[in-house]
Amino acid sequence: MDTAPDEDVSAAFSAGHPDALRLVYERFGALVYNLALRSLRANADAEDVTQQVFVAAWRGRDTFDPARGSLGGWLVTITRNKIADFLRARQRESRVLLQVAGGTAVAAPAVPSDQVVDRLVLADELAQLPESQRLVMSLAFYSDLTHEQIADVLRLPLGTVKSHIRRGLSRLRSRLEADGAAH
Amino acid sequence: MPHTDPTILALMALGESAGSARDDEHVAGCPDCRAELTRLAELVQLARQSGPGEPLLQPPPQVWERIAAAAGDGAVAREMPRLAEADSPGRPAAAKPAGPRPSRARRRGRLAAALAGLAAGLIIGIGGTAGVAQLIRSPAPATRIVAQIELRPLPQFPQWQNASGTAVMHATATQQLIAVTLTAPRQPGFYEVWLLARNGVSMISLGDLNSAHTGTFTIPPGTDLRNYSRIDVSLQPFNGSTVHSRISVVRGSLPLAAAGS
Repeated sequence: MDTAPDEDVSAAFSAGHPDALRLVYERFGALVYNLALRSLRANADAEDVTQQVFVAAWRGRDTFDPARGSLGGWLVTITRNKIADFLRARQRESRVLLQVAGGTAVAAPAVPSDQVVDRLVLADELAQLPESQRLVMSLAFYSDLTHEQIADVLRLPLGTVKSHIRRGLSRLRSRLEADGAAH
Repeated sequence: MPHTDPTILALMALGESAGSARDDEHVAGCPDCRAELTRLAELVQLARQSGPGEPLLQPPPQVWERIAAAAGDGAVAREMPRLAEADSPGRPAAAKPAGPRPSRARRRGRLAAALAGLAAGLIIGIGGTAGVAQLIRSPAPATRIVAQIELRPLPQFPQWQNASGTAVMHATATQQLIAVTLTAPRQPGFYEVWLLARNGVSMISLGDLNSAHTGTFTIPPGTDLRNYSRIDVSLQPFNGSTVHSRISVVRGSLPLAAAGS
């Protein structure tokens, strides 16, 4: 799929460009939604949180500073906060219900762990790779094929496969460092 | 000695025996190269633990409609105060402006939603299944990927109606492999993958899925896949028994073409 480069999306967003929110949503909507879905496990709740994240991001765009971190990382942080808010609110509700029912409160589901965040950021970035590079990276990760066998299977020159692997690993790693849990 | 070629470091991180003995020696003694190798190997480990399954789901189109409406310009915010409240869980139906004048912003939102829906459909169509599943749609003619099948729950087990899975079969020069991913809730016990014969009784255990509910298994050489043509994932209790628990979570059939290869 062709989406604008992350830097362009980020610049349009900081500048408050009218189409920027749509660009940001197209680029990061799935990541935010899936983070919420993994934590809340209910589609309607995940949709609510996704809406809250992008509305809050749009209203708070003046506080986003590209020099201090990536747009993706900033959105991941907002998402985690919104999920935490949502869970706190739900816990309050369930505590009231439980008190009415004479029970004791149980632990609410947790905000997404660092590992869940990293996995989703990785899946998201893999989906952004150009088709042939994504194929090469998928085989390199998930099959037992060596890079020579991958070149053979995909009928790509060996040099192309090597360069896809080197650049692919480096790009995925950079994205993870920029947007992942440790950013 | 110059630093190790980045391509060799990348291949090493993937677990390939790349580079020369001199490269090995250099990496062992060079903090920079070792740090880079560790950095890449951590990424590879994360990718392999996560597995190729579980592609990201696209949010439904109405989410964008709600965002566009709520984050619109000041006039929109004033016109639809309920939607503008980010903390409000209100559905669009409950948040319609009371005035008789139809909201232009609202219509714009619908159009935006329709466009976003189209875009989302496109994304699901071409990019939604990152990973090995992509191979099936790729035109690469020499691929030895033999089959990809969907695994579905069985009608007699309504408790698994939301479970799903995929199985991707591929062949190397010496073996046939099957990569299975399962989307199902965590349960006490573990998920086990089986090849099921046509008679519904004989079966071959391929192995257990990991905690991410994925696994890649070697099909025993010589297996007649015309007979053992179905893949079954069971939930096994921790009771020490090695036989199928009779709790089938999902199942799928290999196409005949896969058996012939």
